[in-house]
Amino acid sequence: MPLLELSNLRKDFGGLRAVDDVSLAVPEGAIIGLIGPNGSGKSTLINLIAGSQDLTAGRVVFAGEDISGYAPDAVYNSGIARGYQEPSLYFKMTVLDNVLLPVKGQRGEKPWYAPRWNSWQGDEAAHARRAIEALEQVQLLQHYATLAADLSGGQMKLLEIARALMGQPKLLLLDEPTAGVAPKLAYEIFQQIARLRDDYGITFLIVEHRLEILFDFVDYVYVMHLGNLLAQGAPADIAEDAALREVYFGD
Amino acid sequence: MPPALLTTSLVNTIQIGSLYALMALGITLTFSVMKLPNFAHAEYVTVGAFAALIVSLSGNVNPLVIMLAAFIVGALVALVSHIAVFKPLEGREVSFYTLILSSFAVGLILRYILFMVADYFNLFDTRIRISLQILLREGYLILTNIFFWVVPSSILLVIALTLLLNRTPLGREMRALANNPGLARVIGIPVERVKNYSWLLVGGLAGVAGALWGLQTAVSPLMGWVAIISVFAAAILGGLSSFAGTILGAYVVAFSENTVMLFLNFNFGLDLAYKPAIPFIIIIAVLLIRPQGFTELIKRAGDLKR
Amino acid sequence: MFKKVLTAFLILMLIVMLGAATTAQDDMETYVLGVALPFSGNLGTFGQDFARGVELAVSQVNAELDAARSSIRFEIASADTENTPEGASRAVSTVVQTTGAQVFVGPLTTSEVLGAKQFADENGVVIVAPASSGAAGAIPGDNIYRVIYPPDVFASKAYANIALERGHENMVVLHLDDPFGNGMNEGFTANFQAGGGGEVASFAYTPGSTELSSEAAAVSAALAGFGDNAGFFCVCFLSGAQAFLQVAQIDPVLTSVQWMGNEAMTAEEILADQGHAQTLANADFITVSFSSESTPLTQIFIDDFNAMFDKDPGIFTNYAFDAANIAMLTMLAAGNDGAAVKSMLPFIANHYIGTAVQAYLDDNGDQAIASYGLYQVSEDLSAFDEVGAYNGNTDTITYN
Repeated sequence: MPLLELSNLRKDFGGLRAVDDVSLAVPEGAIIGLIGPNGSGKSTLINLIAGSQDLTAGRVVFAGEDISGYAPDAVYNSGIARGYQEPSLYFKMTVLDNVLLPVKGQRGEKPWYAPRWNSWQGDEAAHARRAIEALEQVQLLQHYATLAADLSGGQMKLLEIARALMGQPKLLLLDEPTAGVAPKLAYEIFQQIARLRDDYGITFLIVEHRLEILFDFVDYVYVMHLGNLLAQGAPADIAEDAALREVYFGD
Repeated sequence: MPPALLTTSLVNTIQIGSLYALMALGITLTFSVMKLPNFAHAEYVTVGAFAALIVSLSGNVNPLVIMLAAFIVGALVALVSHIAVFKPLEGREVSFYTLILSSFAVGLILRYILFMVADYFNLFDTRIRISLQILLREGYLILTNIFFWVVPSSILLVIALTLLLNRTPLGREMRALANNPGLARVIGIPVERVKNYSWLLVGGLAGVAGALWGLQTAVSPLMGWVAIISVFAAAILGGLSSFAGTILGAYVVAFSENTVMLFLNFNFGLDLAYKPAIPFIIIIAVLLIRPQGFTELIKRAGDLKR
Repeated sequence: MFKKVLTAFLILMLIVMLGAATTAQDDMETYVLGVALPFSGNLGTFGQDFARGVELAVSQVNAELDAARSSIRFEIASADTENTPEGASRAVSTVVQTTGAQVFVGPLTTSEVLGAKQFADENGVVIVAPASSGAAGAIPGDNIYRVIYPPDVFASKAYANIALERGHENMVVLHLDDPFGNGMNEGFTANFQAGGGGEVASFAYTPGSTELSSEAAAVSAALAGFGDNAGFFCVCFLSGAQAFLQVAQIDPVLTSVQWMGNEAMTAEEILADQGHAQTLANADFITVSFSSESTPLTQIFIDDFNAMFDKDPGIFTNYAFDAANIAMLTMLAAGNDGAAVKSMLPFIANHYIGTAVQAYLDDNGDQAIASYGLYQVSEDLSAFDEVGAYNGNTDTITYN
C-alpha cells in the first residue's frame, strides 16, 4: 500500500478547474517528482494535500487514514510536513528558535511552568539537542544564532527542511526547494534530501522546475498539464517522452 | 508653577504612568498575538480590582495574596471571554470591526455583571483595605506605601513579561503567533493552546493592574472603563506592537494628564475638567501625525482575515 | 450603542410584561405613573432604591382605591436614565411614547432632570423630581416640580455662612462639573463674597472621574497660594470624594486647613477607611444636610418599606415615596392629564405632610421649607454626628 494515495482529486476556482481528476500514489521511502509548466496545477495539488486549500472533490489517503478535508494543522499532525516556494520562516527569530518552534509537548509553553526556569530547562536542552541534530543534517549548525532573515535563499530552504524534521514527519511536501537558489547550492539541497531519505526513511513529494537536477535524484516522476496528469514514469523515460517534450519544451 | 505642585505632579506621573503601562501592555499583547483591539480589557482590570477588594475585606491579608487573587480571577475571566465569544467569532471569520464591537459588548456584559455583584454584596464605594502611610518625606517629595507597591510591582511585572516573551518556550510561540499566525498553525505550533495561555497572561496582568489601580483610586464597576481611553492612548502611542513604545506611551499620557494639565491650569487657567480630553487629543494627534499607527491596524486586520 | 439597544429591549420587555399582567382587569381605568431613574451607572443603587419607594407608594394607593371600590388603579412604567441627561430625556420620551404616561417621578440628579426638561415642557408631561436640588433647575412656570428636597440656594448660603463664621478669608472649591456642582459653586461664591469673603478659586472635575490626583495637587497649590485663613469646600459625589481623599490625605497643605463638604460625603463608606475618616476629623470637616425624620409619617414609612422589601430604605428613598404620593394624589384630583396636573400640583403638594418634611413649593415649583442639620465626624471616627442646625427660611445657624 502506498504511503500517500490521491484519488480523483479535483479543485475548481470559480469556473476554472485547476486540478482535474488527478490520481497518484507515493510509495513509502520514495522521492517523487511532480513537474509541469507554470499554471499546470502542481502547487495547487500540494496545497490540497497539505489542507491549505479545500478539495472540490476526491480523496486523500495518508498511511491508511483518510485525511481529505483536514485543516493544515491536522494534516501536519498526521505526519505530513511541507516547505514553501517562498521561504516561510520566522525571519525575526534565530535559526535555532525557528527549529525549536514546532516541538510538541514543551513543558515551558505552559504559563504555570514558564516562569519557573528550572522546571523546563532540562526539557529545553533535550529539544535543543534534537534541533542541533536537525541543523547538522542540513549543515546550518554554524548559523544557529543567526536571524532567519540574514540567511541566503538556499539556506532558508534548508532551514525549512530542518524545521520540518523536528516534527518527525513521514512525508515532506516541497514546493520548488531550489527556487531562487544558486546552482551549486541547489544541487546540495537535493543531496540533503536524498540523505534524509536514506538515513530516516522520509518520503518526499517534490515540485521542481530544475529538471536536470531533479531527474538525478527522484525515483518516479508525475507530469501535470492544465490540471491533468499527463504522464508518469521513471525519470529516464519521462526525459524521452515525446508528449512531455511537446508541452514542456514546446517542440 | 510652584515647586510643590511640580513635585507632586511628577510623583503622580510616575505612579499613574506605571499603572497605565501595566494596563496598556495587555492591550498591546492582545493586539499582537490575538489580532484584537480588546476594549473588554477595561473590565478585566475592574474584575481584578473587585477580586482584590473582596479578598481584602476578609481580614488582614498580605498584599501579595490580594494581587495573586486579582491575577487568578482576571486570568479566568479573560480566558472565559475568549472561549465563549472571541474564539467562536474567529472561527466564523467575522470582520475585524465585528471583533472590535464584540469586545465592546463583552466589556458591557462584564461591567453590568459587576454592577450586580457590587449591588448584591454591597460593595459600592468600599475600598481595598490597605491604608495609606507616608513612607518618605523629603521637602516637597512625599512618597506613600501605595507608591512603593505600585511602581516596583509594575516594573517587576513588565520585566517578568519581557523575559517570559523573549526567553521561554511559551514566549517563543507567542512571538511566532504574533508574527505569522498562519505559519504557526502549519508548522505544528498548538495555536489554540498558546492563545488560551496568552489570554490567561493578559487577563492576569490586567487583574493585578486592577488591584493596584484600586489602591490608587476607588473600586467601582466603571473604574476600568473610565481609564481605558488613557490606556488605549498609551498603547496607540506605542504603535500597538512595541512593548517599549507602550511603556513610554503610558508615561507620556500620565505626564500630559498630570504635569502638563496642571501647568496649563496654573499658568493659563485651563479648566481641570478638560483632563479627560487629553487622551483623545493624544490619540487623534498620533493618528494624524504618525499615521502608521492606523495603517498598522488595517494591515493586521488584513492578516487576520487571510 | 449596545447600551441603547439593550435599554430599549429591556423597556420593551417590561412593557410586554406589564401589558400581559393588566389584560385581566378590563373595567379598570389605569393611570400610568412614569418612573425615570438611574438603574445603571454609579448611582444605580440609589435609582433602584428610589424605584422601591415609588412601588411602595403605588401599592398603598392602589390598596386604598381598591378598598374604596374606585375604578382607578395606578401602574408603574419605568425606564433607566443611565445617570446621564440624554439618557433621562430618552427614558422619559420612551415611556411617554409607549404608555402615554403624563406624570413622572424622577429623575435623580439635577443634570438628569434638566436633560428631560425640554421633552417634558414640549409634550405637557409633568416631572416630579424627588431629590434634585441644583440651582440651575429653579425655573418658574416649567413642567418640573422639585418637591420635598429644597434647592441648593439654601445650602450654598449655609456653607457661605459657616465659612465666614470660621474666619476664612479666601476659599478653594473643588466641584463636580455638572449643573449641581456648578450651581453650588456659584451660589456659594456669591454668598461668600456678599458676606465679606475674599477670593474663591474653583476647580471643576468631570463627573465619573476615578482618579483625582491632579485635582488634589491643584487645590493644594491654590490653598498654599492663599496662605493662612483659607478654607476648602468639596462638592463631590461619594466616589469622587473618596478618590480625592485618597490623594488629599497625604497632602501637607490640604491636611492643614479646614474642610467643608456636601452631604454626599457624610456616608459611612468614607469612614470605613481609617485614613479618610482621620483626615476629615482633623480638618474639622462639616457638612450641611437636609434634615429628615421630622414628621409622624417617618417611622411608618420605614416599617412599611421593611414589610414589603425586607430591608431598610436607603438614604433619601422616602423622598421618592413622597414624590410618588404627591403625583398620584394630584392625578386623582385632576385626572390623568398633564396640563391639569401641572396646574393643580402645587395646591396638593402644599397640603401634603411628607415622611421627611411638610411639602411647600415656591414660585419655581421648588421646595421652600428648608431645614438642615450640621454634621461632623464623631470623636471615635465611627459616624457623622449632628452638631447643629441651619434654618433656611430664617437663615440662622444654631449649634447644639
